[in-house]
Amino acid sequence: MNIVESVKVALSAILGNKMRSLLTMLGIIIGISSVITVVAIGEGSQKMIDKEFEQFGAGKAYMYTNWSEEVMDSDMFTKGDLEAVQSQFGDELKAVMPGVGGNGNINLRKKKLDVNLLVANEKYKDIAKLELLDGRFLIKDDITSGRNVGVINKKAAMDIFGRSNVVGETLDINLENKMLSLTLVGVYEDPKSNLSALGGGGDRASVYIPYTTMMNFSSIETFSGMEIVFEDGVDIQGTKDKIITLVERRHESVGENKYVLATAEEELGSINKITGIITMVIGAIAAISLLVGGIGVMNIMFVSVTERTREIGIRKAIGAKRKDILLQFLVESVIVSGIGGIIGTILGIGFSSLISVFIKIPPSVSLSTIAVAWLFSAGVGIFFGIYPANKASKLDPIEALRYE
Amino acid sequence: MIKIENLYKVYKNGKLELEALKNINITIEDEEFIAIMGPSGSGKSTFMNILGCLDRPTKGLYELDGEEVGNLGDDELATIRNRKIGFVFQSFNLIPKLDAFKNVELPMIYAGLPAEERKQKALKALDRVGLGERIHHKPNELSGGQKQRVAIARALVNEPSVLFADEPTGNLDSKSSNEIMGIFQQLNNEGVTIVMVTHELDIAEHTKRMIVCKDGEIIEDALVEDRRIIEAIAEKDVEKENDVVEEIVEAGETE
Repeated sequence: MNIVESVKVALSAILGNKMRSLLTMLGIIIGISSVITVVAIGEGSQKMIDKEFEQFGAGKAYMYTNWSEEVMDSDMFTKGDLEAVQSQFGDELKAVMPGVGGNGNINLRKKKLDVNLLVANEKYKDIAKLELLDGRFLIKDDITSGRNVGVINKKAAMDIFGRSNVVGETLDINLENKMLSLTLVGVYEDPKSNLSALGGGGDRASVYIPYTTMMNFSSIETFSGMEIVFEDGVDIQGTKDKIITLVERRHESVGENKYVLATAEEELGSINKITGIITMVIGAIAAISLLVGGIGVMNIMFVSVTERTREIGIRKAIGAKRKDILLQFLVESVIVSGIGGIIGTILGIGFSSLISVFIKIPPSVSLSTIAVAWLFSAGVGIFFGIYPANKASKLDPIEALRYE
Repeated sequence: MIKIENLYKVYKNGKLELEALKNINITIEDEEFIAIMGPSGSGKSTFMNILGCLDRPTKGLYELDGEEVGNLGDDELATIRNRKIGFVFQSFNLIPKLDAFKNVELPMIYAGLPAEERKQKALKALDRVGLGERIHHKPNELSGGQKQRVAIARALVNEPSVLFADEPTGNLDSKSSNEIMGIFQQLNNEGVTIVMVTHELDIAEHTKRMIVCKDGEIIEDALVEDRRIIEAIAEKDVEKENDVVEEIVEAGETE
């Protein structure tokens, strides 16, 4: 008997017991759809993080004093460190700035509006991929002179002034119980970032100011972190080590491991590792339901074999070989699992799309995920079908014919 | 042609041994029409199962068409059952989900015949047993006689060397029984070798040769036309049909 005949026989058996077949499939459907959903969202978030990184993180790094070591005040970064790194690595770096941003607020009618103060240099427009709508971005003179100027995002401009062409306006920000008075020189488009949307950052009022302005305003002499942005195509690893050595020399702490320079690439790697592990763990839990579904298939196949003992006897009496019977039942369980797998895949894609509406992560269902899921469900059919099918194929024809 | 020599079937149950068949010797030529008779427990069903290659002898020779088939493996026996043997059962043993046509088609599917050839042969076989019209009815829509015709068509469709029938009229009324026996006689006239088990003398009378078993042995083997067995029974003037077999046995013992 060839495979086509086996499929025909199996289909007629499945259609002959529609309700039972459907309930059997349900286990597989639930298993596959939950695995697909989990993997789709996991892969989706991974892809999103990668994309965000590509857009906003490439070349970014942050240098900070290592909190696991005993760090004294004398180990903190100074203006001198900043200038030394700047002058020695000016060609390799787009920016070296103290990590000194802050949160202020402005009195807006009767409410207070929080304002995110971001420090920048003249190259930061490209680094943060900002789209300027009006006016100009910070220029080198603003930085060197520490001018009280700022570039504001469009939404904040609308919220505060009710319009977006606010160049020349003055913005008074309460910061550290003092008043920072800024002249707005430019307006930029609100960033369309999924990640910042997640954190609510897209809606916040943000103003870029020269880092020197911030340092002057807060009378900052030392600081614990330094933002560094590498030029494109620079050997990040090599330059990174040189920068650390330079800072270590200036603080006479070479080899004491007091400074860490974390690049965004490394951060991305560890984030991806974590999301990968989370996806795997949840996926494994979901896979257990697939296992339970498989056992359901096996159970029903045993019932099916017992029910059709006499039929098996008849088939054997008229010439069916062991492999014919084996194939007949195996094909049946593979079809049940396979159809369950297809339905489960479709539902899984549906579920993940539905969930993504709420958590704003676009699901990513790759062809390979679908192929693996489907092959796996067919594999479940074979694995859990082989035992009952083998039992059927081994039946003694005389005994089977006698079975009532 | 079937040749059986010194054939034994022994069932073992723990230390208990039961000889279901003892030293059977028989030769069945092509185109014979044989009835095997005997009371229950006489071993005739065991004999039929071995003849039909559903079971294996414990020892002895079973040759079918010159091929030793007594010691073949499961799959080889399946092939023999498929190609060389047609089997008709008392309870018809049709697959309930399949209609008459598909039931008849089944042995050819296992033989690996292409669909078109299967269709032609199945229609021919159904026509041969007088069931040209109701071919798309399922077994539960057919009468007992019609079901048995489908079963005969199924048994014949792969053109076997021999047709075995185990009490083929046991579940049928006398009218249907006579029809089925008529078909058997016609098939035999066309050259089909038929071996059937029955315990009804009037059914056995349709055949050409009668073999009587008792306690696992053949105790009588004679041609129906010389009427030796029939006369032996007639002389005893049996009243009840159910006692006939016992009478045959007694008749055999008196000789």
